[in-house]
Amino acid sequence: MIRIPKKGSPERDRIIAEHKACMESMKGVAGCSVLRCGEQGDTTEVSGGIHEDFVLNRVLLRMRAAMPANGKRKLVVICTEPDKSWRIGRLAGVRGVPPEFVNDTVYDNEQDPQHDIFVMRLDEMEEEDGFPEHFREGWKRRDDNWTVT
Amino acid sequence: MCAMRITGYADLFGVNPGKTIQFYVNCDGPKDYNVEIVKMINGDTNPRGPGHIEEHIDAACNSSYPGRKQIIHSGSYGVLADNPHLQTESFTMQCWIWPTTPKTHPQYWKHGAQGLMAKWCDGKGYGLFINEDGCLELRVNGDKVTTGAPIRDHAWHFVAASYDADSGEAVLYHEPQIQYALDPDIPPVSTKVSGAPKHTPNVPFTVAAYTDRLDDGPLAQSSRPAGIVMGGHYNGKLDSPRLCRRALSRQDIETMKLGAQPGLTERRHSGPTGPLSEAIVGSWDFSDGIDTIGGSDRGPYVYDLDIVNCPTRAMTGHNFSGHNFDWKHAQKEYGAIHFHDDDVDDARWAVDFVWEVPADQRSAFYAAKITSSEGDEDFIPFWVVPEVGKEQSKIAVMVPTISYMAYANEHLANNAGGAELLVYRVPIMQDQNMFLSEHREYGGSIYDTHTDGSGLCLSSRLRPILSIRPKYDHFLMQAPWQYPADLHLICWLEQMGYEYDCITDEDVNYDGLARLENYNVVITGSHPEHNSGPQLDALHNYTQQGGRLMYMGADAWYWIHSYHPAYEHLGRGIVTEMRRCESGIRTWRADPGEYYHQGTGELGGMWRYRGRYLHSVAGTGMSSEGFDISSYYSRTYESNDPRVEWAFEGIDYDEKLGNFGFVGGGAAGTELDIVDTMLGSPPHTLVVATSAGRHTEAYLLVMEDFGFNQQGLDGTQHPRVRSDIAYHETPNGGACFAFSSIAFCGSLPWNNGDNNISKLVGNVLNRFMADGPLPPPPADAYIHRGRADYDPPMNKASK
Repeated sequence: MIRIPKKGSPERDRIIAEHKACMESMKGVAGCSVLRCGEQGDTTEVSGGIHEDFVLNRVLLRMRAAMPANGKRKLVVICTEPDKSWRIGRLAGVRGVPPEFVNDTVYDNEQDPQHDIFVMRLDEMEEEDGFPEHFREGWKRRDDNWTVT
Repeated sequence: MCAMRITGYADLFGVNPGKTIQFYVNCDGPKDYNVEIVKMINGDTNPRGPGHIEEHIDAACNSSYPGRKQIIHSGSYGVLADNPHLQTESFTMQCWIWPTTPKTHPQYWKHGAQGLMAKWCDGKGYGLFINEDGCLELRVNGDKVTTGAPIRDHAWHFVAASYDADSGEAVLYHEPQIQYALDPDIPPVSTKVSGAPKHTPNVPFTVAAYTDRLDDGPLAQSSRPAGIVMGGHYNGKLDSPRLCRRALSRQDIETMKLGAQPGLTERRHSGPTGPLSEAIVGSWDFSDGIDTIGGSDRGPYVYDLDIVNCPTRAMTGHNFSGHNFDWKHAQKEYGAIHFHDDDVDDARWAVDFVWEVPADQRSAFYAAKITSSEGDEDFIPFWVVPEVGKEQSKIAVMVPTISYMAYANEHLANNAGGAELLVYRVPIMQDQNMFLSEHREYGGSIYDTHTDGSGLCLSSRLRPILSIRPKYDHFLMQAPWQYPADLHLICWLEQMGYEYDCITDEDVNYDGLARLENYNVVITGSHPEHNSGPQLDALHNYTQQGGRLMYMGADAWYWIHSYHPAYEHLGRGIVTEMRRCESGIRTWRADPGEYYHQGTGELGGMWRYRGRYLHSVAGTGMSSEGFDISSYYSRTYESNDPRVEWAFEGIDYDEKLGNFGFVGGGAAGTELDIVDTMLGSPPHTLVVATSAGRHTEAYLLVMEDFGFNQQGLDGTQHPRVRSDIAYHETPNGGACFAFSSIAFCGSLPWNNGDNNISKLVGNVLNRFMADGPLPPPPADAYIHRGRADYDPPMNKASK
């Protein structure tokens, strides 16, 4: 398992900066990837991000697959007005129970909440997980959330 | 949190000019609402594009209407109207169960006891339940008898309960069919209860639910039977229920598993033995009438159940042996119905307004736009479709309504934490997703799992479908998908001034070639993934006789669908069925033995595995998918072939084709198709442009194209992760142009239609829509071609 870089480590600072740069460059794209557009909002040429920073690539994959620590559920972006405003929420994990907002921050673009969630997850996720010493009974019952549905 | 207070649907997807369409509206809050029929032109609110565009239509129904709340009573069950035989004092109930959620989370949307078999309501009557703690429970009026043993989920159990009114003794049996080494025994529970069942008139006998209340209120009218509201919907399979009117011994219960067995000439009773035949009230056999919405009673009274809300049938029963996967050939092993608490076949709302469509109404995308003075808004989309023989244009847009139904009310962003791996970012949820996340009664999509986690394989159009809406970005692409994405195409047709008709999948399925043959060209939507056999037959027949097909998207002709015949009385194409079988991109996977459709009995899954390669329909077939960003195309030398060079008039060879767009920022994106002559592309197909080498790591080769997992399957590495724009001629002056990317249509209206994708598509459409056969290819184009051996010079060199 790839390690989640520690707070204060140069590696952590680097991947945060790279992620931020990618999100800035994706503003204006009707879609999003953690990659740098040659020109903001134009996907003709993309580079950097997940294609060139191995740690960022692997950390992102792990974040997307795993549940945060402490029994918390996954963070999502909630669009509160089409193409105008967005907020960050957290899934309930129970069918029929809607996600809840996690804070009062309202964004005026789709990319900034992507970045803030990335940073929140760096804080929420354990540095190491997935080794034998972390075994729990749920491993036998698909509680790892890897399945698509 | 959610602001969607108005939702609605219509009784039709496609309405002919001169006919009437009915609308059903839930208005939960505002005192009244305003209706305006609008022609839909664009539904994408992206600030870089033309924005939402609709045109006012003068319609007689445009008016203000009083608002009223309407609700959906979801959850499937069997029901039999009250009768004297059901009002028994003594009884025995028995059945097999395979529960999926015997114990639910306290916050679960339908947390509580689940009814298995019951004539019970509000503390009166009798019933067999799974109680809130997940244990088997017998109820006689208010008395509850339980084993105290939690029932194992996803396992077969035989359960039974008897009650003798003379002795007052009740016995409860829970017999798991699988016993693991450390499972405690579950002995029968025998106890006295305080009195015989009291019977409330009109409380029906139910299977997989119990009667919550008899209710004269307006909101109960959309339940079935109207005015009887069910509760305690059971999640799981239920097989061979039996109801007898006396307390049977355990041995008689065992014999009763055989059920009624009518049909022998020498028999003088309905079986299984003479004495037991006299005890039978009902002996239901769900293996009979799998393609119906009835639960067949083989007993003497023929008390067939009405099966409400279309649960999943053709499911393996407790006795499935694994030797035969087709229920038609091993019917007795398919006696189980899988009931779900979120099944819905019809919202059954009352009509709020109708529109008598004028006889001269133009065919187009339309919607009933519903607004309130308090800012509420919803759109109920429909299409005006000309009758066969009364076509209004040379161009037909084939609206992929089966695919819309397959994606109807999907919950992936909410349910599927792992969906992030697919989309390569954090999903963004919209109002529609938020509403559906707490209104599971609106049902899910065929991409979802039911609330019990089992695959969802049936979808009805008689309910509000919030994913078929303008101003709706799908989490998969953070951009329009399906309906709003197809409006990109409509927006472009309008920008360019083309006249076009709209026909739906439904029309092509039911009318066949007649629906297509009067058009010079048929244009698909961006993602016609889900298709019935009759529809594919019609498309083949059309192109074979000289029709022209413009395939505007990707991942089409992929999944096998059939309309459920039991809903034909309500109209065309009410419920569609699809099973996710051995391969393909599957958000769930059917269990062994559950590959055959309950409605038509046909083998489900991918058309590819029925020997009908997707590449054979329009020349290309799906190779990969990724949902982060899109890319663009470059022309190949084959675009200079005289057979196709006309398509590139006004486009330089080195131009970047489609490095712009409203879906992912480019024309080549999301799901991508390629030419493969080994998988059905005609050997004379020309690849005129390709996006090879330009996709991100998020794009992955489809799993049906490889036999074992290995690295190197993504867009930065694998040569088949690309989109090919392709052309081939069909006999009699026909042809197919495949644009091979779901994102493609998103580039058409860019810069108000002044762009090279628009130019290319315009060149193709202008040629394809002309009357008469296409000009013949040059004489030297007629050569022998193989499939693998399609490039003689190269093969000669290698030999």
